[in-house]
Amino acid sequence: MKLVVIGAHLHRHDVEPVAEPVAAGDLWLSGVAVDDDQPLGDRDLVLRVARTRAALLDRATFIAIRYGLTVRDDAASKVAPFLVRWRQLLEEHRDAVEMTLKAAVAAPRPRPDRREFSSGAGYLRALHASGAEVDPLFREAVEARIPCIRRRWIARDNASVEMAALVKRDDVAAVMEAGAALKRDFPDVPFLLSGPWPLEVFADDHQ
Amino acid sequence: MSDSSEDLSLLETLDHLLDRGVVISGEAVISIGDVDLLYLGLNVVLANVDAIIRTGRQ
Repeated sequence: MKLVVIGAHLHRHDVEPVAEPVAAGDLWLSGVAVDDDQPLGDRDLVLRVARTRAALLDRATFIAIRYGLTVRDDAASKVAPFLVRWRQLLEEHRDAVEMTLKAAVAAPRPRPDRREFSSGAGYLRALHASGAEVDPLFREAVEARIPCIRRRWIARDNASVEMAALVKRDDVAAVMEAGAALKRDFPDVPFLLSGPWPLEVFADDHQ
Repeated sequence: MSDSSEDLSLLETLDHLLDRGVVISGEAVISIGDVDLLYLGLNVVLANVDAIIRTGRQ
């Protein structure tokens, strides 16, 4: 039997009885138990983990660990380098969650052709420069209306941008209302506002 | 909730599960039916399995 790890939590009762608790230093990991021979790509398992992840967030904010990590009796050693920083983040953002706004751009920039570059670094720089930018008026409105502790804009590809926002749990409803207002005021900007999510983007601050 | 918004919600949930959060280690092949569609290696690369196999053979 192995555990598919979902997240890192401050307290054992943040995990139980929704998922299996695993001690890691003075923190707790949440996991879903699966047979040793069960492939991680199993659709039902992925969906089960996704549902468990959502239920855990209902209990308390946690640090999301990307799908794919499995542990047996080696949990503490696998996450040892992260524990001090995780505790700090969990204590700092106990009352916060993440929300995500993904917006499509009107005119995607062409992706650079890697055959035109003699160095990988040059290609990566061009790839970064080709990242999409959203309508500045929309971006300004998003930043003015969505209440958050911290935000980060991320160009994920050449056709869309994403804003990850660290939001107080008490402000989630206000964020959704702001999203509805943005839909009304910017009908030509396709976007998706989703959440709440565990600490994902802001759990990576130290990396 | 309509079917389309349920699909959108599921896609968004899977995007966060598979592409967000702290990277530790691990890998997985995401399958639909009997076909391996996506491969996550080192939790960084997300690519079509056929493309990776082709690249590996070159």
